[in-house]
Amino acid sequence: MSRSPVERERSVGQAFVVLADTMVDDYDAIDLLDRLVGYCVELLSVDAAGIVLGDARQELRVVAASSEDAQVMELLQLQNDEGPCLDCFQSAAPVSIVDVTEAADRWPAFTAAVAERSEFRAVHALPLRLRGQAIGALNLFDREPGALPENDLTLGQALADVATIGILQERAIRRAEIVNEQLQTALTSRVTIEQAKGVLSEHFEENVDEAFDRLRHYARSRNAKLAEVAGRVVRRELDLAEFTPPRHPSKRR
Amino acid sequence: MVTRALLGVARDGLDERALAETICRACVDGLDIDGASISVLTATDARETLCASDQTADVLEELQYTLNEGPCVEAATSGHPVLVPDVHERTATARWPVFASAIGERTPVRALFALPLRWGAINLGVLDMYRRAPGNLDDEQRRDAFSAADVAALLLLGQRTDPGGDEGWLESATASRAEVHQATGMVLVQLGVSAPEALARLRAYAFSHGRLLIDVARDVVARRISFVEDVKEP
Repeated sequence: MSRSPVERERSVGQAFVVLADTMVDDYDAIDLLDRLVGYCVELLSVDAAGIVLGDARQELRVVAASSEDAQVMELLQLQNDEGPCLDCFQSAAPVSIVDVTEAADRWPAFTAAVAERSEFRAVHALPLRLRGQAIGALNLFDREPGALPENDLTLGQALADVATIGILQERAIRRAEIVNEQLQTALTSRVTIEQAKGVLSEHFEENVDEAFDRLRHYARSRNAKLAEVAGRVVRRELDLAEFTPPRHPSKRR
Repeated sequence: MVTRALLGVARDGLDERALAETICRACVDGLDIDGASISVLTATDARETLCASDQTADVLEELQYTLNEGPCVEAATSGHPVLVPDVHERTATARWPVFASAIGERTPVRALFALPLRWGAINLGVLDMYRRAPGNLDDEQRRDAFSAADVAALLLLGQRTDPGGDEGWLESATASRAEVHQATGMVLVQLGVSAPEALARLRAYAFSHGRLLIDVARDVVARRISFVEDVKEP
């Protein structure tokens, strides 16, 4: 994405203002992560982004993706077994595949899947860091091979750090025992949201991407938590007619 | 390790109560707690104690029901875990005054951990654990407890939605694939039923066609299958 440095700086600034704003008062971690992956795609030179978290059994679960595209979701989910995300999660250090066609030695199954089933050539994983360990990873996908430029690496890690803070919140960072509760909540919320996407997708005869847009629009316009709204949708407590699409649906890739 | 024990539970012929008892026993054996109990929401949304590992656990359940106050009630209504290292401590007595004082009078309980049993928006009930000595569970035990609650929820949900001998349920459920959740949502609209009922229908279809639940779910999400009274296929 070719933009002048000044333009990019302004965009970065705006992004952080919105993210910080989201974290004031009572907020929804899933909502924050959803915005964050959108910013990753917008600000870094990548084509798709996703966030995975380690659950209580240390299995990686997808909690946000810039595209609900089955392809991207699949590539994120695959890394529970093998891939840069898994290595990043275990080592708490960034891990990159600069060209999937040349990384078969280390990740044979994953690179084969990327090469055969997608147009991505580079895959990067940045740790969601907490006290020397990782609670998950930020995954970036690029159709162009190559390493992430230094600036993007730094900015990407900053965004990953925002994700960590957003999920755990400051008090959890201070009190270790709350970490598990916060992670558990984020993971459970995700399941609820997926269920709600199904409900809305069927009701409006749309795909799950569009269904999610409606869900998010409803929650944001009423200052309600995504996960709570999702729960009420699944329990059929809300009038679905009120779930109008946003005027400017997000550009999903 | 409680989670491992639960993953290995042979569910044949176990009704809901027996399953709950197995879960409680595994928790008491595997964690630094003195007792455990499970309460569930019945079809009419009333709460019912499925099992209590001892007299104290029973009294705990009873108290929370009667007073409608306490960590278990809070976990049930919020859907979030509530961990109380010491029920005599000021934050707990301020939060649940009547309950805390009743516990103090009638039981030796100091630590209480209430973990909701749920799968997304499907709320099954709560797993309650107590200890006579105050203090939190350590990191490893806490992780195990949360993970065990997840598996326990799936065991109970599996029992409720069982099409009759489906062996693959736990494995596909713990994988927690988005398509399974999405398909559940879609089918509940198609049939006008609750989420657990929708899941039961998906499982029944998969079982009777000898297919994996995840594959059926993918077909539902891709609109290759829809459930309208009888299943409609192209």
